[in-house]
Order: sequence, then structure tokens, then C-alpha cells
Amino acid sequence: MSQFLAIVLAGIGTYLSRAIFIVALADRQFPALALRALEYVAPAVMGALIVSMLTTAGGEVLIGLPELAGLGCAAMVAWKTRNHIYTLLTGMTVFWVVAAIAV
Amino acid sequence: MPRMSDRYLHVRRGVFESIPLFIPAIPFALVFGVVVGESGIAPWLGWSSSPLIFGGAAQITLVSLLGEGASVAAAVTAALIVGARHLLYSVSIAPRFKGQPRWFRWLGPYVLIDQVFALAMLRQDDNPAAFRAYFLSAGFTFWGLWMICTAGGLFLGPLIPSGWNIAFAAPVLFTALLVTAIDRWEKVVVALLSGACTVMLSGLPNRSGLLLGAIVGVLLGLLLESRRKSL
Repeated sequence: MSQFLAIVLAGIGTYLSRAIFIVALADRQFPALALRALEYVAPAVMGALIVSMLTTAGGEVLIGLPELAGLGCAAMVAWKTRNHIYTLLTGMTVFWVVAAIAV
Repeated sequence: MPRMSDRYLHVRRGVFESIPLFIPAIPFALVFGVVVGESGIAPWLGWSSSPLIFGGAAQITLVSLLGEGASVAAAVTAALIVGARHLLYSVSIAPRFKGQPRWFRWLGPYVLIDQVFALAMLRQDDNPAAFRAYFLSAGFTFWGLWMICTAGGLFLGPLIPSGWNIAFAAPVLFTALLVTAIDRWEKVVVALLSGACTVMLSGLPNRSGLLLGAIVGVLLGLLLESRRKSL
């Protein structure tokens, strides 16, 4: 039940973030500082989120050589190709290969 | 009053220009299925986030945090922060919605995802009716494909052997999102520092290290930018 509540709340919040300026505030100016801060939200959250996905709920960090190699190669491919599918294939392949060798 | 054939043209254009842009979303749908499978959340409940949220990164974030036992408040906050870029889309595209009917101003934002934003920004010169036909046909093409593919992901995800550690695809895809959005070196520094802070704060309850790490990153970004401006 609380899981459904979370989905509904996230849905309402997501809709509002898309709608607010279109529905209500189209004529109002957004403070420049807030717009600039917003630009850094994406990289900051993504950086934190990637690490968080490699951490257990108990706080144990599961970042070893396979993870670092996989993410590092994925980042390079993403930078060069800007293609999410190539990035995914590279990251997973490197992760599997390094994990197999390291064991 | 636009002729029917004109509207048909814009609708067809919206549908056909969306399909190639949907391809990058397919791995997200698969990873979403895997994440739901591992979270222990019932598949239909996980899928309900597709129509209710309609945003892959936010859905993956929410479900993976809930599955790890984060509180509702922490998981929702993290999902909304992941989706904060929609505020920028909303600001940028709002002028195109001036003079549009009220129903469209309410309905349009529901399908304002990354790809629809990118496509619609290329249609600045269309008249209001043409813009509306294009925006809605593109938006609901993505919507329909996303409903189908996330259902497919929920079915396929559990079939992948757990020894493959396929859940690692989620951080890899987020790395792809992170890197393709980087347009200046400050953002690299910000992402690395946020990640490092999150590691250091990983012992905090309810994954609050994630939010604190992100806040530190945003503050650092503003600091770096104000220094660059003052030089």
C-alpha cells in the first residue's frame, strides 16, 4: 500500500514539474540563480544515484574492479558515441569480462 | 479551421518521427523490469508507475529505492529530483502553449518527456493547431510504446539468470544519461564529488546520503560557476 502511495506521489510530482510553467506560470520570470542551480541538479543527482545503486541498504559499498571498469568504459563510450545502447552493451560486457577474470 | 488532411499530415509526422527516438528507451524498459523483479514489488504495481509517472529514470529510481527499504518520503524525493530537468523543459516550452486551449495546456505536460521536448522544440514555427496535433501524436506514440515495452520488460526481466548481475545495467544506463548531458567540465567535477559524498555518507539511514551528496554537488556547481563568471 505504501508502495502504491509512493508511485502516486511521484506521479503527481512528476506531472507538476512538467506542467507548472505551462499551466500556471508562463508569464512569470524564473530567478536566474534557480535556473542555474537546476542545471547542476542532473549531474549531481546522477553521480549520487549511480553510487547509491552500488550500495546496499545497510551502507555497504559494492564498488570493486569490475564495477569501476564497467562504468569507466561505459562513460568513455557514452562520451564518444552519445548512444545509450552502445554504452549499455560496453558497460555490461566489460563488467562481465573483468568479473570473470578477477574471480 | 485547418483542413482535415493538414491535421492528418502533422499527426503522421509526429508518429513517425517518434519511433526512431524511442529506441534508446528500450533498454530502460528492460532494466525497469529487472529492477521491479528484484525489488519484490508486485509486477502490476510496478507497471502502474508507467501510466502514473511516465518517466523511465524516475520509475527506476523510485522502485529500486523502495525495494531497498527506503521510506516513501526518501524514495519519492529522490525520484522527483531525478526528474527535476522537467522544470527546465516546462520553462522552455511554455511560450508555445500560450494561446492554446486550456485542455491542451493541462494534457500536454503529461507527455512532456525528453524526446517529446526535443522534437517539439524543432516545431517552433508551426501554427497552434499544427503544433498541438504534432505534440500530442508524438507524445502519445511514446506513451503507448512505453506502456507496451515496460510490460514486456516485467515479463523478460525475471527470465534473465541472476548470476548475470543484470541489475548492474541500471548504473550503466544512468552513466550514459549523465555523460551525454555533460556540456562543461564543471558538471564532471560536480558528478564526481556528489558520488564521493554519497559513498562517504552511505551509512546514513533511508539513503539520505544520496540527497545530501546531490545537494553538495549542486552547491559546488553554483560555486564553480560564480567563480568562472567573476574571472
